[in-house]
Parts: sequence; structure tokens; C-alpha cells
Amino acid sequence: MRYLLISLLFLLAGCASYQQRNNFEKQEVSDKAIINPYFSDVTKDYVYKANIAFYDKSFGGLFIVKKIEENHHRIVFTTEMGAKIFDFSFHKDEFKVNYVLDEMNKKILLNILEKDFRVLVRENEKVISKSIKEKSELFETEIVNKRYYYLFNEGVLNRITRANNGKEKVVFLFSKISDATAKNIQILHKNIKLTINLKSIN
Amino acid sequence: MRKIIYLLLFMVSALHAQTKMTNAEASLLKEKVKSQAAKTNTISSNFVQYKHLDFLSNDIVTSGNLAFKSPDLVKWEYVKPFVYTVIFKNENLYINDEGKKSDVNLSSSKLFKQLNKLIVNSVKGDMFDEKEFEIAYFKQEVVSEVHFKPTNKKISKYIKAFHIQFNTQGDVVEIKMIEPSDDYTRIVFSNRIINKPLSDAIFAH
Repeated sequence: MRYLLISLLFLLAGCASYQQRNNFEKQEVSDKAIINPYFSDVTKDYVYKANIAFYDKSFGGLFIVKKIEENHHRIVFTTEMGAKIFDFSFHKDEFKVNYVLDEMNKKILLNILEKDFRVLVRENEKVISKSIKEKSELFETEIVNKRYYYLFNEGVLNRITRANNGKEKVVFLFSKISDATAKNIQILHKNIKLTINLKSIN
Repeated sequence: MRKIIYLLLFMVSALHAQTKMTNAEASLLKEKVKSQAAKTNTISSNFVQYKHLDFLSNDIVTSGNLAFKSPDLVKWEYVKPFVYTVIFKNENLYINDEGKKSDVNLSSSKLFKQLNKLIVNSVKGDMFDEKEFEIAYFKQEVVSEVHFKPTNKKISKYIKAFHIQFNTQGDVVEIKMIEPSDDYTRIVFSNRIINKPLSDAIFAH
């Protein structure tokens, strides 16, 4: 019986929400939407020096993001010498591969990149819940059936986490922020060996 | 309205400032470039690279230095806005990405070997292989421009055409690599010095 209780307790602890695990306290939701401002200016060309590490392979290149119009972004990755590796369009919930190098044309990989990059360019998300801890606010939302948590420190978006059953799956880190641009962006996968590092060059 | 028509006419004539060479002019240029390439043991040059993607407001501008040593050593060194070097040597690419070194062996991929050879040859401008390219010759005010369209389908999947500009000496002053989507990479050379002694250490990884 005691064992049963203990295992029940463990189970309950295992079910703790992402917010609870990180000691955030739930609050009434007053905010209408979560705003990600980092790729929101149609007049800007966002150009990053990128490094994509996938298991033992590592690709360098230029990561280019352009907002074409509201809810429509283009993301292109080229080598330093200019050869295109992939070219994607995000239009509302739609995803289109305009070009991908044969060697990278793998459905699993494209699915992962689609999910990651969609989060980068989405600007306006509906708040499901809000919690706070000191000067930090954590907003919960859903993007194409996945749970995401947006962490704002003193009003600045520093981190987005995709979590499943309270466990982190993918973490997006934004740093060196000025003028609504994150000069450094990191995308870290927790269950596969994939890391994307972006450093702004313009 | 009349102004617009004049403007349009001007634009059309500006586009046609490039005229086709006669056969005689074309073979003269070809001979000049070939003999210049044969005499070239080393090249050192600055370059500015413009990456044009149709949807961007501005081209992405990077710049650095090129070193070439006969027969097939090439070093591309980007200095601005990041430090990155790639050396083409013995069927390998040696990369130094802001201090992080890596290498890629091309010997297993025929395609990459071919693309690699194209890059090395385009630096000298000597690509006059009529089996591999459909070639068209044009003259502009000062420079000549030659369009090389790869006939090999595997290559044309990556590069639709190379447009190479030559000065009156037959040296390459500009290379434009056009992708099937019509986006392109344009490389403009400056301070190009031919046959300045270059030590092998420059091409060491």
C-alpha cells in the first residue's frame, strides 16, 4: 500500500505542468496575445551567420529571413559562397519547400525544420495561460497542435520552449536584443542531436 | 505619359548596351583569355560578393581576398562581415569558420568534383569547353562578357549559367553564377595582381 502511495506520488510529480516544474505561479490572463517581434519588420532583411550541427555533421552558412507581408515569411539557407541549401515559405499555417538540396531532402529533417522555423517567424499567438515568477512572465500557447511556453524577462522575449507533458523538447534562446532584433538566436533540441546557432551580421 | 515612354525606351536601350560579338571577335577574346590563363601562375585579388535573392530589399554583401596558385589551389577568404576561409586543395575543401576548422572530401562525389573544378576554372576564366557549355559572347563598352551555360543536366540543376566579364587584357573582373531560380551570386574583383609569388603556406589549413 505504501509503495502504491509512493508511486502515485511520483506519478503525480511526473504530471506536473511545465509552469509548476519551473516554479511559476498561474495568474489571470489579461493579455490578449503573445508578440514575437524578432522577424516582424517587412522593411528589414534579416541575415544571420548560421551553424547547424546535426549529430556528427555540421553545416555553416547564411540564414536569411524576410517578412514578405503579414503572416508570410521566406527563410533561405545558403553556403557562405552563396549556394542555396534550402528555401522555405511560411504562409499562415502553410509550409512550402521552394528548394532543398537533394542530400537534405529527407521528410523527417524537413518536418523538424518546418516546426522550428515556424515558431521563429510566428508573431502573434493566443494566450492559453499566464504565470509569473518575480519579474518574469511565462505564457502558454499552442501552435499547430504543439504546446509552447514564451518567457519574457522584464517585457523582453528571451526564450520559447516546446514542451510535452511538462518536459522540454526544443528550446529557442534569444539574446543580444536591440531594436526588436535578436542578434543571437539558438535553437536547441533536447531529444535529438540538433543545434542551430544564428548570429546576426547586418 | 511621354516621359514614361522615353524612360522605357532608355531602359530598353540600356539593356541592349550589351551586343553580341562577331565570330572573329569571339575567337580573338577566347585566344586572349586562354593565353592569359596559360601565363597565370598565381592570382591575388580582393573581391566583393553580392548575393542576390529576389525577395530581399538589398543584396547581401560580403568581401575578402582570393588567392590562386597554379594548377588548382584556390583560397577564398571572407573578412567582412565575418571571418571564414575555404581552401580548394587536392579534392578537399578545408574550411576555417571563425577558428573552427573542418574539411570535406569531394573525391567520392563526381558532381562536387565537377562543381569544384568549375569554380577553380572560373577564377581564371578559362572555361571555353564547348562540350560542357553552350557559350555566347557579348561586348559592352569596356569589358567583354561571356555566358557559359552548362550542358550537363546534373550541373545545370545547381547553376543555370556563369556570366564572366573580362577586361581588355583578358583578365576576369567579374563572375556571376546564376541559379535555376534566377537568384545569383555576383563576385567583383579588384586589385587583381597576376604572378605575384605566393608561398604554399598561404594554402595551409
